Amino acid sequence: MIDLAFQTLGIVTVASPVLLLFVLGFSALVGFKLNEGVVARVTQCSVLVSLVPALSILVLMLAVGTRYVPIELGNWVTIPEQEFHFHLKFVFDRLSVPFLILSCILCGVVSVFTRRYLHREEGYLRFFLFYALFFAGMVISSLAATIETLFVGWEMVGLSSALLVAYFHEREKPVRNGQRVWSIYRLSDAAFLIAAITMHHLTGEGDFGGLMSSGVWPEGTAAVTSAQALLVGTLLLIAAAGKSGLFPFSGWLPRAMEGPTPSSAIFYGALSVHLGAYLLLRVSPLLEASLVLQVLVVSLGIVSACLGGIMSRVQSDIKGSLACASVTQVGIIVIEIGLGFEYLALIHIVGHACLRTLQLLRAPSLLRDYDSVENAVGPGLRQDNGSLFGLCPVGIQEWCYRCGFDRGFMDLALDEWIVRPFQALFGGFDRLERRVSNWLSSEPCRDVDGSEKRPDSIGRAA
Amino acid sequence: MSDTNAQVFPLRDSAVPGTGELSDDDVRRAVAHAVHYLPTQGPISVFVHHNTLHSLEDLPFEEAVLQGQEIYGGEPYLSEHRYREELQAGRIRLDDLRQILMDDLGDRADDLIASFGTRYMVRFAMLRMTLHSATDAELRWLLAESELLKLFHEEVSPQRREQIISHTSNWIRQRTAEEWPPVVRSLLAEYRSSDPARWSPAEQEAFTLRLLWRVCHQGVHAADPAQPEHQARSYRESVFAAAGNEAELRVNDLLIRFCSAFLDQGLASWTIPRRQEGFAASFARMFSRRVPVDHSWLRGLRKDLARLRDEEFNPLDSIGSSLASLGVGQAEADRFVTQTLLSMRGWAGMIWQLETSSLSGSRSLAEGTLLEFLAIRLLLERHSIQHALRREAGGRPLSVIADHVQRDGSSSQLHRIDQRAYTVFQISQVCGWTFDQLLQMSQKQWRCLIEELDEFNSVERRRILHLGYERRYAHAALDAIAVQTRRRRELMRQPPVRSAFHAVFCIDDREESFRRHLEEVDPECVTSSAAGFFAVAMNYRGAEQAHYRPLCPNVIKPQHFVREEPLFSTIDASERRAGRRRTLGMLAHHVNSGSRTLVGGWITGILGAVHAVPMVARIMAPLLTSQIRESLNTWVRTPPTELHLERTADEPGESPESLGYSLPEMAATVVRVLQDIGLVENLPRMILFCGHGSSSLNNPHESAYNCGACSGGRGGPNARAFAMMANDPRVRGLVAEAGLVIPEDVHFLGGYHNTCNDRVEYYDLDRLPRSHRALFRRIEGSINEARARNAHERVRRFESAPVELTPSEALEHVEQRAEDLSQARPEYNHATNALVIVGRREWSRGLFLDRRAFLTSYDSRVDDEESTILSRILAAAIPVCAGISLEYYFSTVDSERYGCGSKLPHNIVSLLGVMTGASSDLRPGLSEQMVEIHEPMRILCVIETSPQKMLSIIESNPGIARLVIGRWVQLAVLDPATSRIQIYQNGRFETYQPEETELPEVSSSIDWYFKRRDHLGFATITEPSAMSRPHFRVASSSTEGGEAS
Repeated sequence: MIDLAFQTLGIVTVASPVLLLFVLGFSALVGFKLNEGVVARVTQCSVLVSLVPALSILVLMLAVGTRYVPIELGNWVTIPEQEFHFHLKFVFDRLSVPFLILSCILCGVVSVFTRRYLHREEGYLRFFLFYALFFAGMVISSLAATIETLFVGWEMVGLSSALLVAYFHEREKPVRNGQRVWSIYRLSDAAFLIAAITMHHLTGEGDFGGLMSSGVWPEGTAAVTSAQALLVGTLLLIAAAGKSGLFPFSGWLPRAMEGPTPSSAIFYGALSVHLGAYLLLRVSPLLEASLVLQVLVVSLGIVSACLGGIMSRVQSDIKGSLACASVTQVGIIVIEIGLGFEYLALIHIVGHACLRTLQLLRAPSLLRDYDSVENAVGPGLRQDNGSLFGLCPVGIQEWCYRCGFDRGFMDLALDEWIVRPFQALFGGFDRLERRVSNWLSSEPCRDVDGSEKRPDSIGRAA
Repeated sequence: MSDTNAQVFPLRDSAVPGTGELSDDDVRRAVAHAVHYLPTQGPISVFVHHNTLHSLEDLPFEEAVLQGQEIYGGEPYLSEHRYREELQAGRIRLDDLRQILMDDLGDRADDLIASFGTRYMVRFAMLRMTLHSATDAELRWLLAESELLKLFHEEVSPQRREQIISHTSNWIRQRTAEEWPPVVRSLLAEYRSSDPARWSPAEQEAFTLRLLWRVCHQGVHAADPAQPEHQARSYRESVFAAAGNEAELRVNDLLIRFCSAFLDQGLASWTIPRRQEGFAASFARMFSRRVPVDHSWLRGLRKDLARLRDEEFNPLDSIGSSLASLGVGQAEADRFVTQTLLSMRGWAGMIWQLETSSLSGSRSLAEGTLLEFLAIRLLLERHSIQHALRREAGGRPLSVIADHVQRDGSSSQLHRIDQRAYTVFQISQVCGWTFDQLLQMSQKQWRCLIEELDEFNSVERRRILHLGYERRYAHAALDAIAVQTRRRRELMRQPPVRSAFHAVFCIDDREESFRRHLEEVDPECVTSSAAGFFAVAMNYRGAEQAHYRPLCPNVIKPQHFVREEPLFSTIDASERRAGRRRTLGMLAHHVNSGSRTLVGGWITGILGAVHAVPMVARIMAPLLTSQIRESLNTWVRTPPTELHLERTADEPGESPESLGYSLPEMAATVVRVLQDIGLVENLPRMILFCGHGSSSLNNPHESAYNCGACSGGRGGPNARAFAMMANDPRVRGLVAEAGLVIPEDVHFLGGYHNTCNDRVEYYDLDRLPRSHRALFRRIEGSINEARARNAHERVRRFESAPVELTPSEALEHVEQRAEDLSQARPEYNHATNALVIVGRREWSRGLFLDRRAFLTSYDSRVDDEESTILSRILAAAIPVCAGISLEYYFSTVDSERYGCGSKLPHNIVSLLGVMTGASSDLRPGLSEQMVEIHEPMRILCVIETSPQKMLSIIESNPGIARLVIGRWVQLAVLDPATSRIQIYQNGRFETYQPEETELPEVSSSIDWYFKRRDHLGFATITEPSAMSRPHFRVASSSTEGGEAS
């Protein structure tokens, strides 16, 4: 009886956002124009239909005293000879329930906000479609019990985030920055995918439970050796760093502030940016299996937090400043995870997400807020060139400023050390190919992209 | 005019580029020239509406918008498509277009164009039809893939289509193959049968069109049209065309970040190092530093910067040498520098504003910052271009490369032919020109036709359509005014009685509806209006404010300082509450700035879940949350206050004894305002002065919604100060000496109207004489009813509000809007403004103006022969209203280039302005959401005076003359005694013949606007016969609008 209740509620929780995505996606696909009110109401209903069962499950879990509720949806793809299966399984435990409830509440708030904020906007339906994709992705990844399920949600979140950065696609900047976000996401996805395959290879399944031989989160120990844990863990760490804008990928976060304010708030400030940390939390027993891995995690957190702290003090636009501040906090959360304070990290995620959402949503009120603070406190409050920082030698101060100004040199380094050599290499191949084909055909090949085509007169085209 | 034109902005690089080095003077001149074109908007918290093309105001409007297109790339008018829609909707009328076209062409109207008719006919046909223009690629696609050559233009009537098709078939059948011209023969060769009669109708139609297309193309080709407009690319554009777009983008990207850090007013917690040493020094210091990794294009820069840092830096030298190394000659220098500065015009303009005008409370910049900015920018561009062209250059200096940059690029001749042929093709279908007629045209006739089509290009057509758009509204307005004055004349036959009370508002268009509703609610009251600072030009500091802020039009530099202070008996309480405010403020500040730091962020982050409560509450129930906050706020709010208004020292200043005004100054203010509004006799017992402002959340442009006559501040304190002055018996004594007697039983009351949530507050009610309390209650009741009705009229424009709201629901709706974080349109501000009426309220009372008119009171009977009063009113009213109207005009016709685009991705930067998204140029202007319902028109001023007086005012006021003669505003004068209206045209006034002699009559405003969302026409509201109607009366129990002290 109680099991049936858990199953039903669990499936409703997951099905509702998927259904929303289907409804909005289908109407957009067939070109059926839903009006604003309908879109908003459907979305709010869906969030509510996810939130209420999630809360009920929480209550039931507390009442029954269970700490682990799996929802099995079976293997969807099985290739026995390759030892591959796609196992859809969700889990309600101490980690996923708070994160799910947080996602639902923040998504709900943002959908109410957006309903009015995007009123009369041309891309209203498009926004809500991406929103639905994001929401479904969040619910799936927070409840995922297998690494392949998590990957599905992870991908949906990544795709919707990149599309929302490029929401104003008629301008160039958002599209460029969207593409940048997308390419970093792909990089982290690749690491994730390799990790997933390795995990399957090691344990024969993607179930997080299998990886951690016994116990429910956060207890449990990894069922793999320390070296194996290090390998999988490092890959997952790269994935998490890309998704959460940790070192050396922090550069994308301030660039992502191109969409409408609510999307910035929810995606980069609140939920998307914590997904990497959430992944690390999910596999926290794995971290404990390898000391090297733990050291790696902690040092990544420290570097990210410090750089984020420097960056956020230098940014002179409000959204950029908040984005960099998020990097700092996510860095600290990662340190907490590395040190094994899982509950603290979880509380920190929830608190930070709420705070940052509110701050980003009211970012346009900044002038008013400054004014009211100044009126209350008196003039001359504005900048304090930093307490302790002011004591440092001028040279260090200036260097730090430059470091923050160039966003920790991270984007620069990626551009100069990875992208440019890559481009140069393939540009070289291109030239080589041309030369060879010219030589083979003994005439200069037509320059495909360089020359403007000169069509013949179209007067007689008819 | 064209001479000044060329002088102001040399559009063509006519001279061969000189190679001489640029002297310092050349550079200085070029910069001085360029600065003229920068946007003049200062920090966004002091938003002042002004003409976006202020720099071109010396030119006539039509020329200026074209220049604007050249300089800023902004559209001159709405799109042709939009005008076409308005034509369809009847907002533009063909009759008007006929008349305008006739007037515009003058003698040239009757010239014959080819063999088809007069110039007038050809142009009129082009105006009526949808003339599509396509780019080459689009045209190619249209020809190959669309129905272009299969079906007639959709605007061709079926009869005409039949006629053309049968004409073509018959023509071919009636002639033998030998008689066919080559074009027909070659086309027929592609068909199986050469007898059109055997084809299906569809084939016939397609054949007709294909033949027509070929004939058009052949004709245009044979005529070989000259290139009338040789659109030369500027040298700068050519350079970047060669170096690639990326070369400019990376410079922008770096400089935007640097400028925002350098200009920062306190957003970031660290100040940029060495800010006080200046822009260039700070930049050099920062970028000459060795760092682990740097942009590859900046590698050469460090050497230059090290030199710049260590030696004496002269920006003029640096600019000169950068220009020389980019190969910029003397002849091109002006244009090059202008375009360089305009490439980031928001930031450059802000630097210039901070450099030249001292703004209270902001960090101003040292003189010469803009020069240093330009020097750095050119240095960066040099390196960026060099880097981009490194492969082509192979180590040669940049100036050598520059020689190879193509100095002009013109699009190919071929494409012009196709596009013109396409135009002729469309016109011939709609006008029914047949292919044989076209075939018979000589080369000269073709050329004549093409020249005509070129001359009447899209911009010209839009100009005419726009005139039609403006004319429709102007004529409707003038008709309405003529009718209304006539009606009012008949009504006013009765002898004047003393009105119950008088209410004075700002001239703002948003107060029009408020006044109308107040007059409807309480027919015994009289309203009038004056510029919202009520002649009290002061620096004001409220009891809860940290800075003085000017509250007067931004052209005036206020000398007087006024403070709001707690009453003597509440000083201690006030201190305590100020202390609490300080504590809370510090707390808020630490939480806010701390949350962005490492440790502080950790603490706030851990405790952050607490924020979920206010967040959810504020977004789910904005109004309720704000009411709760409000009630909690009583704990910290300042107790009753008074204004420190009377000065004891001789000279005004900031020290306590020199705050305020002397008695004679007060008397002069009072006399001036009462004369302006013509309130010199028969004063009622109570006169309410009401300033206005607006408050909204999450709105960086909040200041733009406030009173324009208070430089984007809130005008309540001005009204309060004025009332205090006028109530002072000593001041009244002085006023009486000037011949203006204020009876003892007259009391002035100050108030403040919030145009966003429609609340009204009253000041200094404790000083109200006991004898006036009943009257005050009556006024308050009427105002409350008017507030609800005003809100009701406003919400009809908000799509998100249901149309069937009652007034009290509407009031709640607007209150919620003001408190809603997610509301991008708290109110519509001045959108839809279109009219200025200067004159006695008696003439316009009861006229429904749809919140589109600035109303300025003026009584010509009080004025002298030289119209001293009128000219001082107009000297402020016309430029201010024109500034608002033109800013709305340009932000509407091109929201991306003249306005600041959509508000949704705005990002506040440096506490100075907004960027779009993560990083962009600063965006001056108005947002899409503010102007979406606006009808862009030049404002029409209707002034109650005689043509002679108006002409002499124009003559003696250069500010008015520029706007009126340059047609930036439309002008008409009204004689209320005869309802005769004369329109200003080409230097003189011409009598206007009304088109309508009747106006729709309704019994109340609600009857006219209820359940309608669009722009409404004029209507007259009949005088109430008995007591007010039962219609939606708000329960008088709602005594909202907290009475401020």
